[in-house]
Amino acid sequence: MADKTQTPDAISAYYQTRAAHHGVITSDWLAQAQAAVEQPDSSVFHDLGTEKPFNVIDEFNGWRKQPDLAEAVAAIRAMAAVIRASEATTMMELEIELKKASDTLKSWDKTSISLTAGCDLFIRYVTRTSALEYEDFNSAKSRLLERAEKFGEISCKARKIIAMLSQDFIFDGCTILVHGLSRVVLEVLKTAAQNNKLFRVLCTEGRPDGTGVLLSNELTKLDIPVKLLLDSAVAYSMDEVDMVFVGADGVVESGGIINMMGTYQIALVAHSMNKPVYVAAESYKFARLYPLDQKDMAPALRPIEFGVKIPAKVEVERSARDYTPPQYLTLLFTDLGVLSPSVVSDELIQLYL
Amino acid sequence: MWRRSASFILDKHQNNKPISLTPSIGSPPPLSASVADENLNPNHISAYYQTRAAHHEIVTSDWLEQAQAAVRRYLDQDSPVSGRPFSVIEEFDNWRQQPALAEAVAAIRALAAVIRASEANTMMELEIELKKASDTLKAWDTTSISLTAGCDLFMRYVTRTSALESEDFNSAKSRVLGRAEKFGEISNKIIATLSQDFIFDGCTILVHGFSRVVFEILKTAAQNKKLFRVLCTEGRPDKTGVLLAKELAKLDVPVKLLIDSAVAYCMDEVDMVFVGADGVVESGGVINMMGTYQIAIVAHSMNKPVYVAAESYKFARLYPLDQKDLEPALQPIDFGVSVPPKVEVERSARDYTPQFLTLLFTDLGVLTPSVVSDELIQLYL
Repeated sequence: MADKTQTPDAISAYYQTRAAHHGVITSDWLAQAQAAVEQPDSSVFHDLGTEKPFNVIDEFNGWRKQPDLAEAVAAIRAMAAVIRASEATTMMELEIELKKASDTLKSWDKTSISLTAGCDLFIRYVTRTSALEYEDFNSAKSRLLERAEKFGEISCKARKIIAMLSQDFIFDGCTILVHGLSRVVLEVLKTAAQNNKLFRVLCTEGRPDGTGVLLSNELTKLDIPVKLLLDSAVAYSMDEVDMVFVGADGVVESGGIINMMGTYQIALVAHSMNKPVYVAAESYKFARLYPLDQKDMAPALRPIEFGVKIPAKVEVERSARDYTPPQYLTLLFTDLGVLSPSVVSDELIQLYL
Repeated sequence: MWRRSASFILDKHQNNKPISLTPSIGSPPPLSASVADENLNPNHISAYYQTRAAHHEIVTSDWLEQAQAAVRRYLDQDSPVSGRPFSVIEEFDNWRQQPALAEAVAAIRALAAVIRASEANTMMELEIELKKASDTLKAWDTTSISLTAGCDLFMRYVTRTSALESEDFNSAKSRVLGRAEKFGEISNKIIATLSQDFIFDGCTILVHGFSRVVFEILKTAAQNKKLFRVLCTEGRPDKTGVLLAKELAKLDVPVKLLIDSAVAYCMDEVDMVFVGADGVVESGGVINMMGTYQIAIVAHSMNKPVYVAAESYKFARLYPLDQKDLEPALQPIDFGVSVPPKVEVERSARDYTPQFLTLLFTDLGVLTPSVVSDELIQLYL
């Protein structure tokens, strides 16, 4: 994985991770996995040619592979590892190291919003607390480490908080349309099933990642009635739907969300038929972005298999995500509470100030 | 009642139907043995959409069996079947396999073959025979709207003209035959000519599904040296987008493939949406491949015009009140991975677009949706 310290090629690493989490074995992933097996941990130190025997990207990659860990949490843990391995003796030096590590991580995958947001939040926390306290360096360092560890717990708890908040919105006999495979939404549905609510889920197929089939696998284990739809069949089925639930890759300043390709379309259709669209997102996904249209983000491309050969002259729209403006969203369930899209920018100010 | 589209099951089908034209009760061919379970509880697979899939050259194992059965049938066509040696469904099937032929045109040609093979001496007798054949065809595939509409229109033509003219039987018969041959011949060209004014240089057209009419329109525009770009939706599960992209690439038209989810993402750069139609209903809405309604909603929300290209024989006397108010036409969907058994799948092959259509290009002219019911009255009166 030594070649990954540079800016990756057009394939978005964030979506490759998601694909890997979803168990979709792409050839790239396979190559990476083989490379990881062949490379024992110690050899990493010599591959980079830098003086530090520690590589934040490898650390990050190590954490990232765990399917249950959100991207931002993996980044925070990598930064915690930076702190631990650091030989700095003053807070300023530590901050500079952390800033460098954070920049490395961010430039390694420019397309991942939660990664960027997570790094920014942690750096801001470090900067803020280091200015306030007058303790000695070692206790400050350990406090930072503690905070980084807690961040991981917070994110797991965040999912539980969100699941709890959303229970009031799922009523008996309702039909929920879900797009994409969000761990938060899965937690929401799992909790509802455990509370013995009777509801039905319609999953979109989620081309090309096949998220629909994966989600339906998970839901049948919970004994929830599931129906699979083609992505084209959303409008056809929207009559019988009571609400739409989606996750988010990132929540932007306007209150809109960036999520898997197709979310905007579903939100449009739901809005035209007066169905509520609920978004479940943890607070560390709140990013300081304001896209003005669909193409106003860093492109995150990923390969699409059509099953047949495509002529060379034919282009393919390979973007992995789209932007859903706030007017089509009803509510956002976050660990900061149930927010309407207009409140998001207020929360962002509080988070980032 | 739905029947699985398989030529080798047709004889079995005719064995069951009391009004069948070929009472070949005696010797069922050995080909029908492989689908013995299809008899009373069919798979609800719509024959119409199976044909479309066959036209799109997706070689499913069913299709392969059918092709083999057809070859075998042609080989032993000399062997006489007891009773009448003519089957309208066989005839229809033969015509239907040709990819360039629309379903209704194939039906009309089958009916023309009925006329030719008919031994009737009076118009009344001929009409009765045609009515029987038309009912057989319609019952064979109840999900296909253009088939029903085409048969109805032709029957109405025969009934109407036979009452007006007082010529002798043979010239009446040949006149009806002539009309049947010419049916649907030039409608595609008329529609292509009418729609040329709407395609301007530098425009971006979004296309959903693989309609022969829409393809004709784009081909004509390319031949008229217009510069335009086409975005094709993938068209799951038939992969119509990929096929259309291949055809357009041959014409040197710049094409971009989108997954079905990416329509809203790309709708900004689109100038107009072009779709075909499986049927045009009385409300002015269209019934078309699954996904058309969704695209129409998205296009409408962004003020993009949605144009429908449909021949006039697709105008049907139907008035669906919602999506599910049509006869279900189901298709098999392959997700690429195995789906858990308890999970249902939405298998409908088509949806109904009641509103959000801008114009319909037909061989009767360029119509707004509200004019459709007027035209229908004129057609069917």
